[in-house]
Amino acid sequence: MTATGIGAPVRRREDFRFITGQGRYTDDIERPGQTYAYFLRSPHAHAAIRSIDAAAARATPGVLAVLTGDDLAADGVGGLICGWMIHSKDGTPMKAGAHPALAQGKVRYVGDHVAVVVAETLAIAKDAAEKIVVDYQVLAPVVDMNAAVKKGAPVIHDVAPDNVVYDWHLGDKAAADAAFAKAKHVTKIDLVNNRLVPNPMETRAAIGEYDGGSESFTLYTTSQNPHVARLVLSAFIGIAPEHKLRVIAPDVGGGFGSKIFIYAEETVCVWAAKKVGRPVKWTSDRTEAFLSDAHGRDHITHAELALDDKGRMLGLRVKTKANLGAYLSTFSSCVPTYLYAPLLSGQYDIPAIYCEVEGVYTNTAPVDAYRGAGRPEATFVVERIVEVAAREIGQDPAAFRKKNFIRKFPHQTPVIMAYDTGDYAASLDKALELIDYKNIGRRKRESARKGKMRGIGFSAYIEACGIAPSAAVGSLGAGVGLWESAEVRVNPVGTVEVLTGSHSHGQGHETTFAQLVCDRLGIPIDQVSIVHGDTDKVQFGMGTYGSRSGAVGMSAIAKALDKVIAKGKKVAAYALEASEADIEFKDGRFGVAGTDKSLAFGEVALQAYIAHKFSGQDLEPGLKEGAFYDPTNFTFPSGVHVCEVEIDPDTGVTRVDRWVAVDDFGVIINPMIVEGQVHGGIAQGVGQALLEGAHYDASGQLVTASYMDYCMPRADDLPSFKVDHTTTPCPSNPLGIKGCGEAGAIAAPPAVINAITDALGHEDVTMPATPQVVWRAARKAAFRTAAE
Amino acid sequence: MAMTMNGEAVLPAPRETVWAKLNDPEVLKACIPGCQSLELASPTEFAAVAKVKVGPVSATFKGRVHLLDLDPPNGYRIQGEGEGGVAGFAKGGANVRLEEVPEGTKLVYDVEAQIGGKLAQLGGRLINGVAKKMADEFFGNFAKAVGSENAAA
Amino acid sequence: MTTVTMTVNGKSVTANVDPRTLLAQFVRENLRLTGTHVGCDTSQCGACVVHVDGRAVKSCTVLAVSCDGASVTTIEGLANGAELHPMQAAFREHHGLQCGFCTPGMIMSAVDIVNRKGHDLDEHTIREELEGNICRCTGYHNIVKAVEAGAKAMGGTVAAGIAAE
Repeated sequence: MTATGIGAPVRRREDFRFITGQGRYTDDIERPGQTYAYFLRSPHAHAAIRSIDAAAARATPGVLAVLTGDDLAADGVGGLICGWMIHSKDGTPMKAGAHPALAQGKVRYVGDHVAVVVAETLAIAKDAAEKIVVDYQVLAPVVDMNAAVKKGAPVIHDVAPDNVVYDWHLGDKAAADAAFAKAKHVTKIDLVNNRLVPNPMETRAAIGEYDGGSESFTLYTTSQNPHVARLVLSAFIGIAPEHKLRVIAPDVGGGFGSKIFIYAEETVCVWAAKKVGRPVKWTSDRTEAFLSDAHGRDHITHAELALDDKGRMLGLRVKTKANLGAYLSTFSSCVPTYLYAPLLSGQYDIPAIYCEVEGVYTNTAPVDAYRGAGRPEATFVVERIVEVAAREIGQDPAAFRKKNFIRKFPHQTPVIMAYDTGDYAASLDKALELIDYKNIGRRKRESARKGKMRGIGFSAYIEACGIAPSAAVGSLGAGVGLWESAEVRVNPVGTVEVLTGSHSHGQGHETTFAQLVCDRLGIPIDQVSIVHGDTDKVQFGMGTYGSRSGAVGMSAIAKALDKVIAKGKKVAAYALEASEADIEFKDGRFGVAGTDKSLAFGEVALQAYIAHKFSGQDLEPGLKEGAFYDPTNFTFPSGVHVCEVEIDPDTGVTRVDRWVAVDDFGVIINPMIVEGQVHGGIAQGVGQALLEGAHYDASGQLVTASYMDYCMPRADDLPSFKVDHTTTPCPSNPLGIKGCGEAGAIAAPPAVINAITDALGHEDVTMPATPQVVWRAARKAAFRTAAE
Repeated sequence: MAMTMNGEAVLPAPRETVWAKLNDPEVLKACIPGCQSLELASPTEFAAVAKVKVGPVSATFKGRVHLLDLDPPNGYRIQGEGEGGVAGFAKGGANVRLEEVPEGTKLVYDVEAQIGGKLAQLGGRLINGVAKKMADEFFGNFAKAVGSENAAA
Repeated sequence: MTTVTMTVNGKSVTANVDPRTLLAQFVRENLRLTGTHVGCDTSQCGACVVHVDGRAVKSCTVLAVSCDGASVTTIEGLANGAELHPMQAAFREHHGLQCGFCTPGMIMSAVDIVNRKGHDLDEHTIREELEGNICRCTGYHNIVKAVEAGAKAMGGTVAAGIAAE
């Protein structure tokens, strides 16, 4: 390992601009002649629009345009799309209701887009929006999933008269039923996976721009995947052909999934820019973000686990209702289906699994991928039911897990996935040692002496990352391939620019990707730059989500680097007057085997461009190679997180006292960055378990629409974390990387709830386990103890 | 989101006077905090404009107010809805009963209302306090209105 | 419009502003110092923290006109030329940032904590004092380490730390 190569904790190269205030986020950009957009949003959860009177708003000095859904329709601008087709059990396609960027005749959630005002200043736009008179015919809303599927419930989309998007299933029902028929013990649980708001600290923003001379558009936007935005805006929404639309995602202040999707606002900004002939900028305020960013999770689940007389798992049955909100967001349909049910085997050898999922429309904001996307929901089901089962049959939860772990690889689960490698027991053993499991009894007694209740909770998670083999996801309904592309440009002086389709919004790609280049080419890190986030620079890409940048994005770079080295050998052979077969590349030098003749990487680059040593007939000049990498399998990061909590039964406050994470991410490029990803994921998972919950009241008003009411984890809500690793390299990609971005958020919620329920001695605790919830649960525990 | 509130006020005037004032748009306009106009559309319907501030949200509400279940001089139900543009909307009603007491008339009210939009998102946690304050202000004004009338009579 | 004059990062600036202009808007839009960020509407997140006369304030809750005559330091004014402030250096060294959006506010708050609480800060104090700053990326683990180290380093360069104000 060199100081800047693979495995080194290289300090981040992007940090200088961020710590000195020189980051360049979308809202920091000011375009000449820029105007400001303000969206008038529906205050009603469900209403028909009888009319919109915008005359007074249009007449306001400084207003350039007031545009509505009618204007969109008149210009032939298409609706927003959902790019993953799910088929119901009966083979019928999912029921996707139309999703116009500005409402056409009806609004379906509070925050739905009714009109946009474009003005010289934001203040003018806001004042003018006050003057728009919308005549709403208020309709009965439906917010609760169970109510939405009842007969006679308000109909949100005519295409789905029962509000069911799809009724989907996975697995072998007969096999699962047979397993339950021979079970010695059956554990049953009911769970709610609480609705969350992703809340990257930078809110979404967009600047649309039109150049009449070249008839081309530019969109600056807060995107995790600018190329996908360009594809959707071009091919589906029809704003401009792909070669006339440039999408730039500059510094992006966190995403966590919420910036994958193609939303109404950026669509409208691009379209409106041509209409007003000037750049149009929109920046979300925080309350708008709460209302209109895609939310996450929101499942109701019943699950049953069948065990034999020795406590071995025989079968799992899961029935889930997933709230998809009022419209199908870009990838929403696959989150509670193919990103969820295939993970229900967890780390366990379960011979039969059957899962049914009903996707439901409600009058709430669209729900889509949020850090982990489907996998945290699956892990919550598996790790809660496994914990409860162990307690029910009186086995130690760690030993019970270990007994049921998969030990032989590859392992085909009954739910699609073929796990390639792993050593689950190794992670568990290390975690037990780091948390000092053998002394938990003593720590519990010490807490009890202080009047506190201590509990310990495990979570042995698995996730499917490195999203994803294109043909495989295509067969499951994906509308796109999920490869990644890269280009390595070697300049004549030997410096290297890597153009990647991955996008960094906090992950540190400018550092980790450069480490790979240093490692392969043997050049100093300051001679490498990583370019991303601009469709005019980077030819193609699928972006960053699903922990895919390392496993897929870097694999594409590795492939391109191999091609550069191969071409370099040809150039070196001419320059060194040797046979290509005799050229070796090592430590940054091309040498002739068995001699001391060699050229540095930079010298070969120069030879490639001056092209004096070979003829154009024999070899093309230049040293620039591109590659597409399409994975052959998902990757399967796994690990064990252990959480220890101490509860004050008098106040219901849960303090997370200890946290141990032992993850297997395969090969690690930069341990400092990987640990940072784990920390952040755990914080979001603890947030879900203890603090966060998006709540709509019965009339469909979002009553947690600011940081006053939506509880974000803060520094004093969390402990320091003990993070360690075990390693089984991923066999399916050239670098052995599995991915690390989502692990913490996937692992953490069941670890916390298992710890709380361990402390309380009963299972009746819901997320978020706020002091109120825990206080009530502690009272119940006390009554129970008293009754005994 | 829903809001409920109830209370009572003792007014120094006979029940008939209080009833008459409760049906007089000029008196109501003068007493409703922030009321900018209140016009009679029919004997039981008013068009109203009122400026209201709830925490960080301030808005001008335009709406209609209906008087229902008229039972002179014992009480009525007053019901209305207003749109406050980007601030959201408010709708709801109040049952008002008048009882004779030695000091004059006891007015008992029972309000339930729905608010939506920015009012609910940012003002939600303040709405009960604001509503209580507005009710107090209204009845303070109203007591003065009926009191002065009564004194003059 | 109202005229406001203040010293920002050591330079005197005068501008005509709408009286409702917030300090955050003023530094971002009028002065184009975009390192100060706005992450919420309710003064909860702390991305907008700057120093006014040596004390940390949330610039989204302060009117620009109320800072007339004041000395304001933003994240852009913390480093001494190319030489990073010790707290900035500590954030980089300890990986106290990921997406970078909350970072300017975090660093400005951290410097203020040291100014108020001294150079020897324990974890508990740091976590409590950072209560007004939200980070969604790091889980705070490395921010706490960075603040602790930055505080110690500032102890070694007291003069430079105070002079920056």
